[in-house]
Amino acid sequence: MADLATRPPLLHVARSRLRLRPGQTGVVIAGLVLLTTVAGSLLAPLVWPLDQSAVALDQTRLAPSWTHLAGTDDLGRDVAHRAVYGLRVSLLVGAVAALVATVLGGVVGGIAGTLGGRVDRILMRIVDTIAAMPHLLLGIFIVAMLRPSLGAVIASVGLTHWLSTARIVRSEVLSLRNRPFIDAAISGGAGRLRVLTRHLLPHVLPRLALATTLMIPHAVWHETALSFLGLGLPPHLASLGNMINDGQGSLLTGAWWASLAPGAVIVVVTFAIAVLAARWRDRFDPRVRAELHL
Amino acid sequence: MTSTPHLLADEVTVGYGRQVVLDRVTVRIDRGETVGLRGPSGCGKSTLVRVLALLHQPDQGRVSIDGTAVSAVRYAVPVALRTRVAALFQSPRAAADPRLSLTDLIAEPLRATRTPEAAVRERVTELADLVGLTADLRSRRPHAVSDGQLQRACLARALVHRPDYLLCDEATAMLDASTQAHVAAVIRDYQLAQQAGVLVISHDQTLLERWSDRIVDLAGTAPART
Amino acid sequence: MTTTESVPAPASARAATSRPLLAVDGLGVEFRLRDARVRAVTDLHLTVRAGELLAVVGESGCGKSVLAHALLGLLPGNATTTGHAVLHESDGEPVDLITCGQRQLARRVRGRLVGLVPQSPATALNPVRTGRRLLAETLRAHGRDRADADQLAVDVGLDPADLDRYPHELSGGMAQRLVTALALAPDPALLIADEPTTGLDRPLVDHTLDLLRRRCDNGAAVVLITHDLAAARRVADTVAVMYASRVVEHRDTDELFTAPTHPYASALLDALPDRAFRPVPGDPPMLTALPPGCAFAPRCPHRTDTCAHPPEPTPVAGGGTVACHHPIRTGANP
Repeated sequence: MADLATRPPLLHVARSRLRLRPGQTGVVIAGLVLLTTVAGSLLAPLVWPLDQSAVALDQTRLAPSWTHLAGTDDLGRDVAHRAVYGLRVSLLVGAVAALVATVLGGVVGGIAGTLGGRVDRILMRIVDTIAAMPHLLLGIFIVAMLRPSLGAVIASVGLTHWLSTARIVRSEVLSLRNRPFIDAAISGGAGRLRVLTRHLLPHVLPRLALATTLMIPHAVWHETALSFLGLGLPPHLASLGNMINDGQGSLLTGAWWASLAPGAVIVVVTFAIAVLAARWRDRFDPRVRAELHL
Repeated sequence: MTSTPHLLADEVTVGYGRQVVLDRVTVRIDRGETVGLRGPSGCGKSTLVRVLALLHQPDQGRVSIDGTAVSAVRYAVPVALRTRVAALFQSPRAAADPRLSLTDLIAEPLRATRTPEAAVRERVTELADLVGLTADLRSRRPHAVSDGQLQRACLARALVHRPDYLLCDEATAMLDASTQAHVAAVIRDYQLAQQAGVLVISHDQTLLERWSDRIVDLAGTAPART
Repeated sequence: MTTTESVPAPASARAATSRPLLAVDGLGVEFRLRDARVRAVTDLHLTVRAGELLAVVGESGCGKSVLAHALLGLLPGNATTTGHAVLHESDGEPVDLITCGQRQLARRVRGRLVGLVPQSPATALNPVRTGRRLLAETLRAHGRDRADADQLAVDVGLDPADLDRYPHELSGGMAQRLVTALALAPDPALLIADEPTTGLDRPLVDHTLDLLRRRCDNGAAVVLITHDLAAARRVADTVAVMYASRVVEHRDTDELFTAPTHPYASALLDALPDRAFRPVPGDPPMLTALPPGCAFAPRCPHRTDTCAHPPEPTPVAGGGTVACHHPIRTGANP
């Protein structure tokens, strides 16, 4: 918990880092939400350890109260407590899967864009073919082949989400490749490697990082969907999808709170990431940046 | 044909798809002279510059520098040969990496060829002075300077390797009269001092007459569109 | 590409003696940036009459584009404006373009009264509409027949067949002609053309300029913002030379080109390739740090201590104004 004295400087730092104008409190709130959730889920094992398999059959389906902030589920487990751990798993899956997708997409898109010609055509047709299949179906197929586990879920998400990244990187490289400033660099004596590292990559990387950030919420949702279908993580492991899945049974018995906390957490976190990513995109968008150019 | 060293596009033909852009075009630029080139838009003036700057492979014909035929293009051309021909384009915004400060922009070709940093700094200062960029401007990035200031930085970059040939593709078309005269004066002085060959492409007849030693018409050698 | 042959209007037919259409009075525009204030337009006075073509010329960054945007209320949020720019409509109340507010601008002014030919056509065109659809929408919105689209295309030198293409399929020059046609479609009383000839080759430049000229001859007014002095000379009735956010000289075109009185105007004309082909010495000042007096003084061969005070625009013999303490007088009369 940040005490009151540290708050103004934190706001101030956030403002100057993100080049905020007064009134853009939404971005600050989103940042604080994300900071709190990420820090909370990282530190949780130290301050609030959870035994994943523990049950308390004498405390099932308790409504939210001061002892159980978000109530308890069918097996008497504290929903708030498990939601923190669920987010931890979901964010881990989201971040790692987004990274896998970015690397894969970056390499494929980069090769297609740089080499062009037949290589480009073949690679992009493969991308189109995979993109034509429903993500979730493909994800289910991958998990089914690898048997449900953390690694399988990450693979499932990563292997289905690299397509858009590949397209972004390819189009970026293609549009850069024929720009006169690349010609000028070649004319000035720059070699292939230097053009790639000094003139192409620095332009592609911010877009790539942005694509990764925007992918995290997608990946979190994908994991949730898989777990909800019972294909994700082992049932005793707290993940947001597992919890929502468990909670749907409780809904019928009137224990609506069992799905509420994990559902709310996923919405809030997704929203916070989206707000920050949108702000970040605006900063890289040359049209926005050029606004003040006379 | 033995004479002054020259840059030559010999019977060059270039087409994109079915459309022929340059049809057996021959242009010769001697060291020490400024050749003006005019022709309607779409007649392939910019393509000719890319061919002469060894950036585009002609379908037929060849380019030679001081009598040596060069069949490679882009990265395949030895650096020592590549840097003897420099080009200055119409839009300085498109020709400048938006991430680099003007100093880094001018220094880039030197760093790309592994020049010692002290020598880089000395040469960049010399050139920035030559094109009249104030110290305040040099640390700025392209989006914070005007077209005219950016084109002067691009000119400095083009001269950084002391090229024997300089190709100016409508290089002053977007500039105001004062900057145009300034850029032309710098190029003129350089051309005289280095005995360089300069190709000036422009739609402005008055400018060509004032600036170049002789004027070549491209319209006569290339077919019109379609 | 064929262009219709056209003859520039003779200077004698350019005499524009009708009523003032636009009166700009003490216009100022200032931008607030993170760490600085930029004065892009300072205390600017201009009048444009119906049937008059006014060219605003100057080096890039002198504030001429900002003037165009101020007149259309298109400045970004960090800009503050002062002064007035009153447009006298033939049938209706005069509108102050600076103070009337966005609603009035949107409903009454933009397009209908004041048209803009923007500087970068690529970003001004909706990428998912063909040229024909864009033109038809504009024509219909202003109560004109959509069939006029072909005629408009021909007027601006665009092949009507090219109207069926999408913006990305057009070359820079074609896109420029399309935005010109779009600005002309509502038949505005005042047309502001911000560097309308960028990216066009000579025949098309001339064609576009003659098109603007013909609009004036039909009674409209045009403000042509350009860096191209030859273009201004070809079609303008009067020329305003801007330097560091101010108009330093506003004269009849022929008089300005034969006998400029402001040292800057004179130096700028000397940079033309058919004259001395010599750049104006020194560098233009930054708009963030303008000197308190005459902004041209540091580069001026005629400067004295008086130049530490800002010069007021004063009338010149033969019409027009100049803002200089030491205007050049052409003494010798042959």
